[in-house]
Amino acid sequence: MGHASARRPSSMSAEKGFHRHGSNSYIAEFAESEREVLLNLIEQLIELLSERVDHGHEDPLAAMVGIASHDSPPEDEVLRRLLPNAYADEVDASEFRRYTESTLRGKKQAHAMSMRMYLKSADDGIVDLDHDNANAWLGALNDIRLALGVRINVQENTSEVLELLSPDDPLRGVYAVYTWLGWLQESLLSALMDE
Amino acid sequence: MVKTTTSIEEEIKAIFSDNTPWVTIVWDDPVNLMTYVTYVLMELFGYSREKAHELMMKVHTEGKAVVSTGSREEMEHDVARLHEYGLWATLQRGDQAL
Repeated sequence: MGHASARRPSSMSAEKGFHRHGSNSYIAEFAESEREVLLNLIEQLIELLSERVDHGHEDPLAAMVGIASHDSPPEDEVLRRLLPNAYADEVDASEFRRYTESTLRGKKQAHAMSMRMYLKSADDGIVDLDHDNANAWLGALNDIRLALGVRINVQENTSEVLELLSPDDPLRGVYAVYTWLGWLQESLLSALMDE
Repeated sequence: MVKTTTSIEEEIKAIFSDNTPWVTIVWDDPVNLMTYVTYVLMELFGYSREKAHELMMKVHTEGKAVVSTGSREEMEHDVARLHEYGLWATLQRGDQAL
Protein backbone atom coordinates (compact mmCIF):
# COMPACT_ATOMS: atom_id res chain seq x y z
CA MET A 1 0.00 0.00 0.00
CA GLY A 2 1.06 3.59 -0.45
CA HIS A 3 2.29 5.97 2.19
CA ALA A 4 1.66 9.68 2.31
CA SER A 5 4.51 11.96 3.07
CA ALA A 6 4.26 13.06 6.71
CA ARG A 7 5.28 16.60 5.94
CA ARG A 8 4.10 18.86 3.18
CA PRO A 9 6.28 18.42 0.08
CA SER A 10 8.40 21.55 -0.18
CA SER A 11 7.98 21.90 -3.94
CA MET A 12 4.33 22.89 -3.56
CA SER A 13 3.22 25.91 -1.62
CA ALA A 14 0.22 24.26 0.01
CA GLU A 15 -1.41 25.74 3.05
CA LYS A 16 -2.30 23.29 5.79
CA GLY A 17 -4.44 20.88 3.81
CA PHE A 18 -7.94 20.06 5.02
CA HIS A 19 -9.20 20.54 8.53
CA ARG A 20 -12.47 20.03 10.21
CA HIS A 21 -14.78 22.85 11.26
CA GLY A 22 -17.79 21.86 13.31
CA SER A 23 -19.55 18.60 12.69
CA ASN A 24 -19.88 18.56 8.90
CA SER A 25 -17.45 20.97 7.33
CA TYR A 26 -14.00 20.19 5.91
CA ILE A 27 -12.09 23.21 4.76
CA ALA A 28 -8.92 23.75 2.78
CA GLU A 29 -7.36 26.83 1.29
CA PHE A 30 -5.53 26.45 -2.00
CA ALA A 31 -3.03 28.75 -3.62
CA GLU A 32 -4.00 29.78 -7.15
CA SER A 33 -1.26 27.56 -8.62
CA GLU A 34 -2.57 24.57 -6.68
CA ARG A 35 -6.12 25.21 -7.79
CA GLU A 36 -4.89 25.29 -11.38
CA VAL A 37 -2.98 22.03 -10.99
CA LEU A 38 -6.01 20.30 -9.45
CA LEU A 39 -8.40 21.65 -12.11
CA ASN A 40 -6.06 20.56 -14.87
CA LEU A 41 -5.79 17.04 -13.43
CA ILE A 42 -9.52 16.73 -12.84
CA GLU A 43 -10.29 17.82 -16.43
CA GLN A 44 -7.95 15.13 -17.67
CA LEU A 45 -9.60 12.54 -15.45
CA ILE A 46 -13.07 13.50 -16.70
CA GLU A 47 -11.86 13.29 -20.28
CA LEU A 48 -10.21 9.93 -19.71
CA LEU A 49 -13.35 8.49 -18.12
CA SER A 50 -15.49 9.60 -21.04
CA GLU A 51 -13.24 7.88 -23.56
CA ARG A 52 -14.02 4.51 -25.02
CA VAL A 53 -17.50 5.50 -25.95
CA ASP A 54 -18.80 2.80 -28.22
CA HIS A 55 -18.73 3.40 -31.92
CA GLY A 56 -21.16 2.13 -34.47
CA HIS A 57 -23.69 -0.47 -33.67
CA GLU A 58 -24.70 0.43 -30.17
CA ASP A 59 -28.24 -0.43 -29.21
CA PRO A 60 -29.67 2.91 -27.97
CA LEU A 61 -32.03 1.20 -25.54
CA ALA A 62 -29.22 -0.86 -24.06
CA ALA A 63 -27.11 2.27 -23.78
CA MET A 64 -29.93 4.06 -22.00
CA VAL A 65 -30.08 1.45 -19.25
CA GLY A 66 -26.31 1.31 -18.99
CA ILE A 67 -25.55 -1.86 -20.92
CA ALA A 68 -22.46 -1.48 -23.06
CA SER A 69 -21.93 -3.25 -26.33
CA HIS A 70 -18.36 -4.02 -25.30
CA ASP A 71 -17.30 -6.33 -22.52
CA SER A 72 -13.52 -6.48 -22.79
CA PRO A 73 -11.23 -4.69 -20.35
CA PRO A 74 -9.93 -1.28 -21.53
CA GLU A 75 -6.74 -1.38 -23.56
CA ASP A 76 -5.35 1.69 -21.83
CA GLU A 77 -3.44 0.70 -18.72
CA VAL A 78 -4.79 3.59 -16.65
CA LEU A 79 -8.42 2.90 -17.55
CA ARG A 80 -7.85 -0.75 -16.79
CA ARG A 81 -6.85 0.23 -13.26
CA LEU A 82 -9.77 2.64 -12.86
CA LEU A 83 -12.29 0.16 -14.27
CA PRO A 84 -10.85 -3.19 -13.20
CA ASN A 85 -12.19 -6.71 -13.68
CA ALA A 86 -14.52 -7.88 -10.92
CA TYR A 87 -13.79 -11.57 -11.49
CA ALA A 88 -10.59 -13.50 -12.12
CA ASP A 89 -12.59 -15.60 -14.57
CA GLU A 90 -12.66 -13.81 -17.93
CA VAL A 91 -16.17 -14.88 -18.94
CA ASP A 92 -17.66 -13.73 -15.62
CA ALA A 93 -15.58 -10.53 -15.76
CA SER A 94 -16.88 -9.71 -19.27
CA GLU A 95 -20.47 -10.34 -18.32
CA PHE A 96 -20.17 -8.15 -15.22
CA ARG A 97 -18.40 -5.39 -17.15
CA ARG A 98 -21.08 -5.35 -19.82
CA TYR A 99 -23.75 -4.50 -17.27
CA THR A 100 -21.81 -2.32 -14.84
CA GLU A 101 -18.95 -0.49 -16.50
CA SER A 102 -20.91 2.53 -17.67
CA THR A 103 -22.44 2.94 -14.20
CA LEU A 104 -19.00 2.81 -12.60
CA ARG A 105 -17.67 5.29 -15.11
CA GLY A 106 -20.61 7.60 -14.36
CA LYS A 107 -20.02 7.43 -10.60
CA LYS A 108 -16.35 8.25 -11.00
CA GLN A 109 -17.23 11.11 -13.31
CA ALA A 110 -19.72 12.40 -10.74
CA HIS A 111 -16.97 12.45 -8.09
CA ALA A 112 -14.66 14.28 -10.46
CA MET A 113 -17.33 16.79 -11.48
CA SER A 114 -18.14 17.56 -7.85
CA MET A 115 -14.47 18.30 -7.27
CA ARG A 116 -14.30 20.45 -10.41
CA MET A 117 -17.41 22.39 -9.40
CA TYR A 118 -15.94 23.24 -5.98
CA LEU A 119 -12.59 24.24 -7.44
CA LYS A 120 -14.12 26.40 -10.17
CA SER A 121 -16.22 28.35 -7.72
CA ALA A 122 -13.39 28.77 -5.19
CA ASP A 123 -12.18 32.17 -6.39
CA ASP A 124 -10.71 32.87 -2.97
CA GLY A 125 -9.08 29.41 -2.96
CA ILE A 126 -11.26 28.22 -0.09
CA VAL A 127 -13.06 24.92 -0.44
CA ASP A 128 -15.65 23.93 2.17
CA LEU A 129 -16.96 20.37 1.84
CA ASP A 130 -19.65 18.45 3.66
CA HIS A 131 -19.20 14.74 4.39
CA ASP A 132 -20.69 13.48 1.10
CA ASN A 133 -18.67 15.88 -1.02
CA ALA A 134 -15.56 15.05 1.00
CA ASN A 135 -16.13 11.41 -0.02
CA ALA A 136 -16.48 12.48 -3.66
CA TRP A 137 -13.19 14.39 -3.38
CA LEU A 138 -11.48 11.39 -1.81
CA GLY A 139 -12.66 9.19 -4.66
CA ALA A 140 -11.59 11.67 -7.34
CA LEU A 141 -8.23 12.41 -5.69
CA ASN A 142 -7.66 8.69 -5.46
CA ASP A 143 -8.52 8.16 -9.13
CA ILE A 144 -6.03 10.86 -10.11
CA ARG A 145 -3.37 9.23 -7.92
CA LEU A 146 -4.15 5.81 -9.45
CA ALA A 147 -3.84 7.28 -12.94
CA LEU A 148 -0.55 9.05 -12.18
CA GLY A 149 0.68 5.97 -10.28
CA VAL A 150 0.20 3.79 -13.36
CA ARG A 151 1.87 6.36 -15.63
CA ILE A 152 4.96 6.72 -13.43
CA ASN A 153 4.85 3.03 -12.52
CA VAL A 154 4.61 3.44 -8.75
CA GLN A 155 5.75 0.39 -6.79
CA GLU A 156 6.17 -0.12 -3.06
CA ASN A 157 9.72 1.30 -3.17
CA THR A 158 9.11 3.98 -5.79
CA SER A 159 9.81 6.91 -3.49
CA GLU A 160 13.45 5.90 -3.11
CA VAL A 161 13.85 5.29 -6.85
CA LEU A 162 12.24 8.56 -7.92
CA GLU A 163 14.07 10.67 -5.40
CA LEU A 164 17.30 9.58 -7.08
CA LEU A 165 16.21 10.96 -10.46
CA SER A 166 18.13 13.90 -11.87
CA PRO A 167 16.59 17.32 -11.12
CA ASP A 168 15.59 17.90 -14.75
CA ASP A 169 13.90 14.53 -15.26
CA PRO A 170 10.24 15.27 -16.13
CA LEU A 171 9.12 12.30 -14.02
CA ARG A 172 10.33 14.19 -10.97
CA GLY A 173 7.65 16.84 -11.49
CA VAL A 174 4.91 14.25 -11.91
CA TYR A 175 6.13 12.50 -8.81
CA ALA A 176 6.08 15.76 -6.84
CA VAL A 177 2.43 16.27 -7.83
CA TYR A 178 1.65 12.63 -6.99
CA THR A 179 3.23 13.04 -3.55
CA TRP A 180 1.39 16.29 -2.92
CA LEU A 181 -1.95 14.69 -3.84
CA GLY A 182 -1.25 11.87 -1.37
CA TRP A 183 -0.50 14.41 1.31
CA LEU A 184 -3.70 16.34 0.50
CA GLN A 185 -5.77 13.16 0.53
CA GLU A 186 -4.24 12.16 3.86
CA SER A 187 -5.11 15.57 5.35
CA LEU A 188 -8.75 15.15 4.29
CA LEU A 189 -8.78 11.63 5.77
CA SER A 190 -7.43 12.88 9.11
CA ALA A 191 -10.07 15.60 9.17
CA LEU A 192 -12.81 13.05 8.45
CA MET A 193 -11.55 10.48 10.95
CA ASP A 194 -10.84 12.97 13.69
CA GLU A 195 -13.55 12.29 16.24
CA MET B 1 -46.48 -23.50 14.12
CA VAL B 2 -45.53 -20.42 12.17
CA LYS B 3 -41.91 -20.83 13.11
CA THR B 4 -41.88 -24.47 12.00
CA THR B 5 -43.42 -23.62 8.65
CA THR B 6 -40.87 -20.90 8.08
CA SER B 7 -37.95 -23.15 8.88
CA ILE B 8 -39.23 -25.88 6.55
CA GLU B 9 -39.66 -23.33 3.78
CA GLU B 10 -36.15 -22.11 4.33
CA GLU B 11 -34.81 -25.63 4.22
CA ILE B 12 -36.59 -26.33 0.97
CA LYS B 13 -35.28 -23.06 -0.44
CA ALA B 14 -31.77 -24.01 0.62
CA ILE B 15 -32.06 -27.39 -1.11
CA PHE B 16 -33.12 -25.81 -4.39
CA SER B 17 -30.73 -22.92 -4.40
CA ASP B 18 -26.95 -22.93 -4.34
CA ASN B 19 -26.23 -21.52 -0.94
CA THR B 20 -22.47 -21.46 -1.18
CA PRO B 21 -21.45 -18.06 0.14
CA TRP B 22 -19.44 -15.72 -2.06
CA VAL B 23 -16.64 -13.48 -0.88
CA THR B 24 -15.32 -10.04 -1.78
CA ILE B 25 -11.55 -9.79 -1.77
CA VAL B 26 -9.50 -6.59 -1.61
CA TRP B 27 -6.00 -6.84 -3.11
CA ASP B 28 -2.95 -4.85 -2.14
CA ASP B 29 -1.74 -2.15 -4.50
CA PRO B 30 1.09 0.36 -4.19
CA VAL B 31 -0.97 3.55 -4.61
CA ASN B 32 -3.92 3.41 -2.21
CA LEU B 33 -3.02 4.90 1.15
CA MET B 34 -3.40 2.74 4.25
CA THR B 35 -5.62 5.36 5.90
CA TYR B 36 -7.73 5.56 2.76
CA VAL B 37 -8.33 1.81 2.59
CA THR B 38 -9.32 1.83 6.28
CA TYR B 39 -11.67 4.78 5.75
CA VAL B 40 -13.36 3.24 2.68
CA LEU B 41 -13.98 -0.03 4.55
CA MET B 42 -15.54 1.95 7.42
CA GLU B 43 -17.71 4.04 5.11
CA LEU B 44 -18.92 1.30 2.77
CA PHE B 45 -19.41 -1.53 5.23
CA GLY B 46 -20.00 0.35 8.46
CA TYR B 47 -17.07 -1.45 10.07
CA SER B 48 -15.55 -0.09 13.26
CA ARG B 49 -12.21 1.63 12.90
CA GLU B 50 -10.56 -1.36 14.62
CA LYS B 51 -12.07 -3.91 12.27
CA ALA B 52 -11.37 -1.82 9.17
CA HIS B 53 -7.78 -1.27 10.31
CA GLU B 54 -7.30 -4.98 10.92
CA LEU B 55 -8.59 -5.85 7.42
CA MET B 56 -6.42 -3.15 5.85
CA MET B 57 -3.35 -4.54 7.65
CA LYS B 58 -4.18 -8.01 6.36
CA VAL B 59 -4.35 -6.66 2.80
CA HIS B 60 -1.08 -4.81 3.35
CA THR B 61 0.87 -7.71 4.88
CA GLU B 62 -0.69 -10.72 3.14
CA GLY B 63 -1.52 -9.11 -0.20
CA LYS B 64 -5.27 -9.69 0.08
CA ALA B 65 -8.16 -10.07 2.51
CA VAL B 66 -11.79 -11.14 2.44
CA VAL B 67 -13.71 -8.01 3.39
CA SER B 68 -17.29 -9.25 3.04
CA THR B 69 -19.27 -12.46 2.59
CA GLY B 70 -22.77 -13.07 1.24
CA SER B 71 -24.73 -13.96 -1.87
CA ARG B 72 -23.22 -13.48 -5.30
CA GLU B 73 -25.48 -10.48 -5.94
CA GLU B 74 -24.47 -8.87 -2.66
CA MET B 75 -20.79 -9.37 -3.42
CA GLU B 76 -21.21 -7.90 -6.92
CA HIS B 77 -22.72 -4.86 -5.26
CA ASP B 78 -19.81 -4.64 -2.79
CA VAL B 79 -17.19 -4.98 -5.52
CA ALA B 80 -18.88 -2.26 -7.58
CA ARG B 81 -18.82 0.10 -4.59
CA LEU B 82 -15.17 -0.67 -3.86
CA HIS B 83 -14.29 -0.02 -7.51
CA GLU B 84 -16.12 3.29 -7.30
CA TYR B 85 -13.61 4.31 -4.62
CA GLY B 86 -10.62 2.86 -6.46
CA LEU B 87 -9.92 -0.19 -4.32
CA TRP B 88 -8.76 -3.22 -6.23
CA ALA B 89 -11.49 -5.79 -5.48
CA THR B 90 -12.79 -9.05 -6.94
CA LEU B 91 -15.46 -11.56 -5.95
CA GLN B 92 -15.46 -15.34 -6.06
CA ARG B 93 -17.17 -18.36 -4.56
CA GLY B 94 -16.22 -18.80 -0.94
CA ASP B 95 -15.18 -22.41 -1.50
CA GLN B 96 -12.55 -21.48 -4.09
CA ALA B 97 -8.94 -21.10 -3.05
CA LEU B 98 -8.05 -17.46 -2.46
